[in-house]
Amino acid sequence: MIQLTDLTKVYRTDEIESTALNKISFNIEKGEFVSIMGPSGCGKSTLLNVLGLLDKPESGSYQFLGEEVGHFNEKQRSNVRKANIGFVFQNFNLIDELTVFENIELPLIYNKVSKSERKQRVNEIIEKMGISHRSSHFPQQLSGGQQQRVAVARALITRPPLVLADEPTGNLDSSHGNEVMELLCELHEEGTTIVMVTHSSHDASYSGRIINLLDGQVISEKKSTLTQKAV
Amino acid sequence: MFKNYIKVAFRTLNKNRVFAFINILGLALGLTITILVFLFINDQTSYDKHWGGYERIHRIGLKAHALGQQIDAPISPSPAAQTLRDEFTEVEAVTRIRTRGQEIMMRYEENKVYIKKEVSADSAFFKVFDYDFVHGSPTLALKDDNNIVLTEETASKLFGTENPMGKVVNYDNRRDYIVTGVVKKQRGHSHFQFDMFVASNQVNPQWVSNNFNTYIKLREGVDRDEFYERMSASFMKNVEPQIEEFTKTPISEFYQGGNSYAYHLETLASIHLHSHKDWEIEQNGDIMYIYVFMGIAILVILIAGINFMNLSTARSSKRAKEVGVRKVSGASKTMLIGQFLTESIIQSFIALFLALILVELFIPGFNNIMNTEITLFNASFNKTIIFAFIVTLCYGLFAGSYPAFFLSSFQPVSVLKGDFTKTKGGAILRKVLVIFQFTASGILIIGMIIIFNQISFLHNKDIGFNGDQVIVVPLQTDDMADNFRTYKEVFLKNSNVLGVSRSSFLPGDNPNQNMFELEGSKEQMALWNMEVDYDFFETLEINLLEGRLFNIEQDIDSIPSFILNETAVKSYNIENPVGKRLGAYIDDTGISYGNIVGVIEDFHTEGFNQEIRPMVFRIDNYTWFASIKISADDAQTTISYIEDEWNRLEPTHPFRYTFLDQKFGALLKQQENFGTMFLFLTILAIIISAMGLYGLSSFTAEQRTKEIGIRKVLGSSVGGIMNMLTKDFLKLVLIANIISWPIIYLLAKNWLNNFSYQIEMPILPYIFATLLSMIIALITVSSQAYIAANSDPVNALKYE
Repeated sequence: MIQLTDLTKVYRTDEIESTALNKISFNIEKGEFVSIMGPSGCGKSTLLNVLGLLDKPESGSYQFLGEEVGHFNEKQRSNVRKANIGFVFQNFNLIDELTVFENIELPLIYNKVSKSERKQRVNEIIEKMGISHRSSHFPQQLSGGQQQRVAVARALITRPPLVLADEPTGNLDSSHGNEVMELLCELHEEGTTIVMVTHSSHDASYSGRIINLLDGQVISEKKSTLTQKAV
Repeated sequence: MFKNYIKVAFRTLNKNRVFAFINILGLALGLTITILVFLFINDQTSYDKHWGGYERIHRIGLKAHALGQQIDAPISPSPAAQTLRDEFTEVEAVTRIRTRGQEIMMRYEENKVYIKKEVSADSAFFKVFDYDFVHGSPTLALKDDNNIVLTEETASKLFGTENPMGKVVNYDNRRDYIVTGVVKKQRGHSHFQFDMFVASNQVNPQWVSNNFNTYIKLREGVDRDEFYERMSASFMKNVEPQIEEFTKTPISEFYQGGNSYAYHLETLASIHLHSHKDWEIEQNGDIMYIYVFMGIAILVILIAGINFMNLSTARSSKRAKEVGVRKVSGASKTMLIGQFLTESIIQSFIALFLALILVELFIPGFNNIMNTEITLFNASFNKTIIFAFIVTLCYGLFAGSYPAFFLSSFQPVSVLKGDFTKTKGGAILRKVLVIFQFTASGILIIGMIIIFNQISFLHNKDIGFNGDQVIVVPLQTDDMADNFRTYKEVFLKNSNVLGVSRSSFLPGDNPNQNMFELEGSKEQMALWNMEVDYDFFETLEINLLEGRLFNIEQDIDSIPSFILNETAVKSYNIENPVGKRLGAYIDDTGISYGNIVGVIEDFHTEGFNQEIRPMVFRIDNYTWFASIKISADDAQTTISYIEDEWNRLEPTHPFRYTFLDQKFGALLKQQENFGTMFLFLTILAIIISAMGLYGLSSFTAEQRTKEIGIRKVLGSSVGGIMNMLTKDFLKLVLIANIISWPIIYLLAKNWLNNFSYQIEMPILPYIFATLLSMIIALITVSSQAYIAANSDPVNALKYE
């Protein structure tokens, strides 16, 4: 599904040039659950942003579903994103002015899905996420775990083949964190490709493969010890 | 999707009530002013446009510099209309009218009514001005010289419910007229307003005596300029021989001597706003007010728009996350621009709704101040609403565009990380916009002070006479005029009547001009003349400079004596005027000489936009305006006494009076109204600016919460933090005021040039306005700064 070859990303300010990703190459197959780990500043989030087409690489190749997307302009990237990629963030990033239902519905609106279908799909997913009793609540009225469930539901509502999760449990206590990880595992079991950035080896242990980064380079790649639910 | 925009817009407004309040109220006030100004302009530009074929109607005017006289007036000679009728096929209709500045007592049987505005008109009047006839025929109504046409209102005053057609009414106890028509009130505003129309078809062959207003309605398709050339040539063919006859010099010499004499045409619809000549039928409006109010409306709407832009971009960090999420969820930049524009347009329309309510509330006050009769729900309501919608939509797009483009350009990768840094460009733009707002406010504040200084200067200016406690009573009958000097003693029997005199007109009325010359001199003098009775100068407390005032022992009607004013002596360099003999041209019969017996101090008879004219006074028993000075003690009883006596002496005409100071004060009214309206608009503009500054400063304080926390932890005092937060804004306000100085200086100078008597440009308003803006800014900003400076640093440091 994803093929990176010598992918480089450089950040420039007036005086300083820092290389966030330095000739990274790896592949991710369809249906894989991959964790990206590494210390702060190693380039994990930059990598996730590039994978999610939120950011452009400096050089190298990024093939997504067999197509070179690294050089795409904003409009093309937006089109690829809205059709194929769901995002889950550490800080949930829900829109405070929209209810649970409306937050989840948002990507469908932008994908021009009909009203009746939107309703049906949102109801299905909030049922599945166990938050249907919260559908008319606003984000501030929910617990952290519930907010992240909403964020996951929003990421999945367009049924994207790829879900990118940026420290999805980072703002949650352990029990809520586990709930979210189990949710991701279920998705993975259903065939969704998941790429997750995390600091937590516990969370990483849910995935099938762990890629370790340091200073913008892949320093190791290993199969996870646990490929099923953590204890 | 649009529904989603609207939903979010309302929820955002609800969540940010202060921001929404500032935006919506500010814009509502701005729109209120804009709609009021629109209604005002609509009203002022509608004058004379209700007459059928108004574009083809023109008024003849005369501009001449002849025999020392400067004439620029809408006047024309008696035979002009008939000549046009006889010689010009391109003229569809032409009418000649003459107005009288005096109330006329009309009587039907025993019912006596004073009618304010009477006009003598020839039989073609209603062909040019298509009044709606209730009774009678427009073509026949003024055919004979004993015909009179009344407005419905006048007819109802005189006849009640009776049908007036064919009835005989008495005109001022002088003659009878037959009512031959009744017309409805004119359909719209006009530069004249008449209550009755008296037929007058006699033509006097004098071409150099310009006592009429002539209106021409050209046929469709006639070239106005070509017509004017022909008309002018035809008129001059008649005028020039009479000038030669009058001046006893060949016409070529007349022109070579620096004289000029030319007729011109004024388009009917332009008269109200553009014509400010001598002897206008009524005081016209002024295009300057239109420009000034339009300027203010634009400034105010810009100030409100800037509030919106500033607050939207200042609080962009609040919405950055939303932009990020929407982009990640698939929103394109265009979709986001659409969303933010929808929000600003929704706010604008909420403001419009409020503004329409405010307009309805403000209209009575506006009409009161501006002496207008505007209404919101009038015949042009549709036009007003379309205008208001367009302005509101443009405002929504204009004010929303910058925030929309600004917000929609956020990179989701940055903003979703909370890595939102305030852009330098945005901050600079906000500063520029605040400077613009306060420059506009500065201009308005300084302008307002200068206007009030000027008005107060005019109010306190020595007008040269004392009109306090002087009542003016018009004489109505020849008997009263003949015997006034005897009757005067009756009034003076009351010890509270301090002086009684009369004159041909009084301060507040238009004077007349005649030609004079000193005996032995060839130079002709154009002097504005006033006929007075004995004790006139004493009654009005006008000071004598030289010689003596008129008195009954030395000055009799048959041997004229003259008194000049200072300006006449100065204008014509008359050395030792007292004792010299002055000749007055009496029609074409020649010159009649009399002695100059005194010189009086100048006094104002007209508004302050007119310099005092050179004047000459002489005794005349036939002057029609009595001025009676009464004591302030028990004035009402004194007036009742005068009324009783007057009614006994002149039983035909019911007694009525006005106060002289009010009559003269009315000349200042238009300027005062303008000043009051300017004050009102300035206050609104300042409120809107201050609201914007309040919003902006609260967001600035919020944005700097972390910095404030750190500074406090490091030991900064509340005062230190307040100083930090306020000084930046004060700097901007100071810069804005300095920018406003030269702009308002030029504008004010231009406005002051409308007055013949003007204040020296003062410096104080500039300093005062700057201090006032800074105090307003300080109060506004410091309240926010105080709250921020007193906040708990622990909370501040948890921020972000």
